Amino acid sequence: MVERKSPVRKISFAMLVILIVLFCIFPFFQMLSMSLKYQWDWGNPSLIPTQLNFEAYKELLNIDQGVKNVPESIINLLEENPDLTKDQRNTILDKYRESGDVFPFMRYFGNSLALAGIAALLSVFIAILGAYALSRLNFPGRSTINRGVLFVYMFGGILLLIPLYKLFVGMGLLSAPGGAFTSLLVIYLVQTLPVSLYMLGNFFRTIPFSIEEAAMIEGASRIVIIFRIIIPLSISAIVTVYIYAFMIAWNEYMFASVFLKGFPDLYTLPMGLKELFVSKNAVWDRIMSASVLTATPVIALFMLIQKNLVSGMSEGGVKE
Amino acid sequence: MKSLVQSPGLDFHKREVYLGWGLVFPSVFIILSLILYPIVYNIFLSFFDVSLGSSNTYIGLENHKNVVSDVFFWKALMTTIIYVVCTTLGTTLVGLIVALVMNKEFPFRGLVRSLVLFPYVAPVISVVFSWQFIFDPVNGIVMDVLVERLGILSDRVNLIGSPSSAVWVAILFSIWKNFPFTYLMILSRLQGIDQGLYEAAEVDGASGWEKFRHVTLPEIYFITGSIILLRVIWNFNKFDEVFLLTGTNVKVLSVYTYYKAFVGTMEMGQGSALALIQFILLIGFILFYVRKVLKW
Repeated sequence: MVERKSPVRKISFAMLVILIVLFCIFPFFQMLSMSLKYQWDWGNPSLIPTQLNFEAYKELLNIDQGVKNVPESIINLLEENPDLTKDQRNTILDKYRESGDVFPFMRYFGNSLALAGIAALLSVFIAILGAYALSRLNFPGRSTINRGVLFVYMFGGILLLIPLYKLFVGMGLLSAPGGAFTSLLVIYLVQTLPVSLYMLGNFFRTIPFSIEEAAMIEGASRIVIIFRIIIPLSISAIVTVYIYAFMIAWNEYMFASVFLKGFPDLYTLPMGLKELFVSKNAVWDRIMSASVLTATPVIALFMLIQKNLVSGMSEGGVKE
Repeated sequence: MKSLVQSPGLDFHKREVYLGWGLVFPSVFIILSLILYPIVYNIFLSFFDVSLGSSNTYIGLENHKNVVSDVFFWKALMTTIIYVVCTTLGTTLVGLIVALVMNKEFPFRGLVRSLVLFPYVAPVISVVFSWQFIFDPVNGIVMDVLVERLGILSDRVNLIGSPSSAVWVAILFSIWKNFPFTYLMILSRLQGIDQGLYEAAEVDGASGWEKFRHVTLPEIYFITGSIILLRVIWNFNKFDEVFLLTGTNVKVLSVYTYYKAFVGTMEMGQGSALALIQFILLIGFILFYVRKVLKW
């Protein structure tokens, strides 16, 4: 469209764009800014900290925390007794370190990473097989399954929460950490599976059948075709679906809050952050830097796959 | 094609059927046993006095009666309706406007398009605290602007702290968080509109509004209608966003059910009954909407 525009319209259009961008990213600036401010600076409405404070980040990432909570007298004592062995020193220091361990961010980060990483991997693997069958093979019941996969979008988590909890308790899985972890893993798998099936199915349909046909004439079986042709050809789509499934599991709070209730060592990031916020250790700079550190991997992964993900979503591969 | 691949001695078609079922079996099994079965089990549980330790006792419709005769259920339903209507209208409207803006050419459009998606991809838990700080009565910018700069309010108030105002903060948050999805869907449809239609409209002397009303709107009607349906389904079931931002100050049905089933006396039977009622209401709405609005 070729249109002549008055300067007034141009400027108001630019203002509108700026307004939209500010609306979207202001909360992100706010959290970055707060994570870097000292407590005396909190009342200052400016986003730029008067003085930069990295303490919260250091504390969460466990950098330079060695002697932070150790009283000076103890440090002096250690220095005056050079003949103490390393083990003895560590036992003395450990006593004080434990009280400083207010928020085990790294542990929660690791838990989230393990849960989301494994669940997404299983989900993508099972979905590759299923999506291939649904997009390439003719068998009775195929269209019913295809429609059923879409139908699953309608069920909210809350409808599944009580029966799943009751079922897993009945199987005795929620009385030990290993069982609780496995239960949650299985739940994240099933939460992401429909989306993975749907997105991969859509992608497989775009691969020309003639490539497979040629391989079949040469005698390759369907299984060989999946691993030698389909997977290599759709690797970018598979990575996209993997990351999307990872993000869904990484962000999940409701199931984690119920299934991990008795196991603080297994808390995922959403669960840990929520607990931190209601605890006495809630300090804005610590909460905000934890927020920044939780959001960063997800946003970085998203930037990696943005193009593919956006087109996958446009075709209907979404879950909330 | 079939004759080409079919080799003598084996039934190609039959093998394909078996293979198809074999490959899709794990997915179907997992979905059936962890989504469909639990839903059926939930219906079953709603007829029982559920206890975690001992066995359940059948009590018929007692749970459903208890739930419906509780005034808090109706309050939660009203809150949910307000929440769903406002967030759906808000996300659709903001999404539509942003999509129309992003469909025009301007400098840095690529960068702006990805920045706009940030709220949608960021984990809920990582943005709720920032929002809580923005609305914090002591240090937050909202109170600073409303009280100190503009003087609209005379006192600093805790908007998230009281249920009547917290629901509006939750609505605003949901719009902010979810409009990028609507925007994305509408934008991809806008890009597919035949530019010739606009040129033809211009030849006929159509104004900007008329072009939007008679060309753009009919083209995006179906996709917008479908997104509205998805938004209603998702927001009707929404838990994380509401609970993490406002705690139990905004008791929409999901939060109310969670609270009933997992906090305090843990009334799981009543929780199941609530979840079931919520589900039936949603199905009712979907059937109505699909017939009347999407005209399937």
